[in-house]
Amino acid sequence: MSGVVLNKIVKKYGALQVVHGIDLKIDPKEFVVLVGPSGCGKSTTLRMIAGLESITAGTLAVDDRVMNKVAPKDRDVAMVFQNYALYPHLNVADNIAFGLKIRKVPKAEIRQSVQEVAEILGLTDYLARRPSDLSGGQRQRVAMGRAIVRHPKVFLFDEPLSNLDAKLRTQMRAEIKRLHKRLGVTSIYVTHDQVEAMTLADRIVVMNEGRIEQIGTPMELFNNPANRFVAGFIGSPPMNQLHGFLEADDAGPVAQIGRLKVRLPKSEVLENQNGKPVVLGIRPEHVTVDEVPGSFPIRINLDLVETLGSEALLHTDLDGMTFVARVETLGEISHLSGVDTLHVKPDLLKLFDAETGRSLSVDARTGT
Amino acid sequence: MTIQEDSSSRNSDVLAAFETEDQPASGGRLEAAIDHLRREWQLYLMLLPMVIWFIVFLYKPMYGLQIAFKDYSIFRGIAGSPWVGLEHFETLFANDQFLRAIKNTVTISALNLLFGFPAPIILALMFNEVLHASYKRTAQTIVYLPHFISSVIIAGIVITAFSPTAGIVNTIMGWFGLDPVYFLTQPEWFRPIFIGTGIWQEAGFGSIVFLAAIAGVNPSLYESAVVDGANRWQMMWKITIPSILPTILIMLIIRIGNIMEVSFELVILLYQPATYETADVVNTWIYRQGLQSGQYDLAAAAGLFNAVVAFILVMTANTLSRRFSRTSLW
Repeated sequence: MSGVVLNKIVKKYGALQVVHGIDLKIDPKEFVVLVGPSGCGKSTTLRMIAGLESITAGTLAVDDRVMNKVAPKDRDVAMVFQNYALYPHLNVADNIAFGLKIRKVPKAEIRQSVQEVAEILGLTDYLARRPSDLSGGQRQRVAMGRAIVRHPKVFLFDEPLSNLDAKLRTQMRAEIKRLHKRLGVTSIYVTHDQVEAMTLADRIVVMNEGRIEQIGTPMELFNNPANRFVAGFIGSPPMNQLHGFLEADDAGPVAQIGRLKVRLPKSEVLENQNGKPVVLGIRPEHVTVDEVPGSFPIRINLDLVETLGSEALLHTDLDGMTFVARVETLGEISHLSGVDTLHVKPDLLKLFDAETGRSLSVDARTGT
Repeated sequence: MTIQEDSSSRNSDVLAAFETEDQPASGGRLEAAIDHLRREWQLYLMLLPMVIWFIVFLYKPMYGLQIAFKDYSIFRGIAGSPWVGLEHFETLFANDQFLRAIKNTVTISALNLLFGFPAPIILALMFNEVLHASYKRTAQTIVYLPHFISSVIIAGIVITAFSPTAGIVNTIMGWFGLDPVYFLTQPEWFRPIFIGTGIWQEAGFGSIVFLAAIAGVNPSLYESAVVDGANRWQMMWKITIPSILPTILIMLIIRIGNIMEVSFELVILLYQPATYETADVVNTWIYRQGLQSGQYDLAAAAGLFNAVVAFILVMTANTLSRRFSRTSLW
C-alpha cells in the first residue's frame, strides 16, 4: 500500500518505552494530525518518520518502501520545526535554497524553485532579509518554503504554530490548509492544540502515553469519542463527564447521576449491569437554556458566567459535580444570571464505562 | 545582534530608573539615582571590588603616564620633574632596538593570529565531532592542562625539550641521522618555538569559549540539515562555523586589541641576547629600559605608544566587524 504506514512501531530509550507499538496507515495526499498532551509520544513518532530517531521495533514504510534503516535525506520527507530552524546567518532565499544546494541542484534551477516558492508563500519581497528581520509568521512561512521547495513525498510538521500568538496562529492555520489543498502532499502534523487538529486534519490520531486512543475524522472524534480520554481532549471546553451508576426498571436501563435519572435505550451491553459505575458525557455545546423539543431539564446552581461574545460559558454545579454549558447569547447575557435549569438534547449524550473509560456505545434517551 | 544591543537591553531596567520622562531636571535625576542606589545597594556592593581594582591598577597608574612627557627623576618625583614634550618619543623612534622590538612584536602577533587564533577554534570543532563521551572528556582534560601550568615550568619544559644534548627533539632528529641543533640560541627558531608553545599552552583552554558557543547552536538547525541531506562536514561548514562566527569575531577583536601585548613572561623566559634579533618585543624592551636601566620616562613613552596603537587597532577592528558582520564589542 502506498502512503505512510506505521506497523507496530515501538520506541524505547533504555528501559523507558515511550511509544507502544502503534499502527497507522496514512493515505497519499491525506492530512493527518497527531494530537495529544505533552509526553504522549506524538513528536517522537514524527521524528521516527523523519529518521531523526531510530525505531526500536516495528516497521515504517513510505510508498511501500521500508524506511527503518534509510537515512533521513533518502526518505524524501521534509520537516517544519517548532522553532522554525532557520539558519540565522542566511537570508530568506538562501534558507529556502539550503536543501537544494546540499543536493547540488543546478543554480538556475534553484533560483527558479526559490522564486516559485516565494510567490506561493508571499515571500518575494523578503528574499534578501535575514530571519532576524522577519516577523514570526514570516519566519514560519520561510520554514514551510524550505520544506516545499524540495517537492517531498511527505511533509512533517512538528508543532509549527506553537510559537505564534493566537491571531497569527489562526491566520497561519488557514494558510497551511490552503497550501495542502494546493500542493496535495501527504502531511503529518503534530500538535497539542485540539483546535489546530480539528481545523486542519482529514483524520486525527489522538495519542496518550505512547498509544493511539482513537483515529477518525474530526467530527467522528467529536461525536463518537471512543473513550473518556478522547472525550475530554477533543472539544473546547471538554465534554462534561458526570459520574453515576446504572439501574434498571421495567422500562429499561437508567443512568442515575446524583438526583438526575437518564433513561437509556435497551441494549445487550447494559443488561444485568445494575450498580455498574458509569460516566455520562454531555458536550457543553449540546445544552440549551431554553427548552427544545425532546430535551430534558437538569437543575443546576449557576456559579459563573464567562462571556465570549456570541456565546457564553456557564460554569455550574450539578449535584456537587462541575458542569459547563456553552450557550448562545444573541448579544445579551443579562438573562443568564438567573438560570437554574438547563436543557439537554438526549440523543447527543454519551455513556462511558467508569472503570475502563471506554464508550458503552449507546445513546442515552430521556432524563427525568 | 551585537554585544552592544545585548548589554543595552540588559541594562534597560537600570537605565529606566534614570530616564523616565516625567522626571524633572538634574535634581530629580540625582534623587532617582540615590533612590536606585538605595534599592539596589547589594548589586553595587558586589561591583565595588572590581571598581576598586580598576581604580587602583588601571586608572591611578594613568597619572604616572605624564612622565612620558617629562625628564623624570625619582628624586624630584612626577610633579617636580620638568616637561620635555615629545623628546622621549623622538628618542624612541631614533632607536634601532625599539624599532626592531616593534617589528618583532607585530611579526610575532601576526603569526600568532595566523596560527594561534584558529587553533582553539579547530580544536573546538574537532571536539564537537567526537561522539564518544568519555574519550571526549579525557581528551579535553589533557589539552586544558597546560593552561594551568606556570609559564616558568612551561618554559622549562620547552628548554629541556629543545636542549641539544638531552632534548627529545634532538634525540628524535638523531634517530634520523641529523646533527643536533641548539634551537633556542638561533634567531630563526625562536618564533616557531614561541608560537608553538603558545598554542600548546592555550589552545585547549581557549577552545572552551568556542565549545560554549557551539553548545548554544540550536540543535534543530542540525536536524533540519540532516533531513535536507547535509553530512557532518557540510553541517560544520554551513551551520556550526557561521553560527559561532559572532563569537569568533569578538574573540578576534579582543585579540587584535592585545596585538602589542605579546606574552611577556614567556618571551623573557625563552629569549636570550643571541635571539634578540627576532625575540625582543616592545614589552621586553620596556622592561629592560625601565627596570634594568632605570629610564622610566623612556619606558613610559614606549608603553604609552603601545597603548595608543592597541586602542586604534581595537577601534578599527570593532568598526570593521560591525560594518561587515553586524557583530561588535560596543
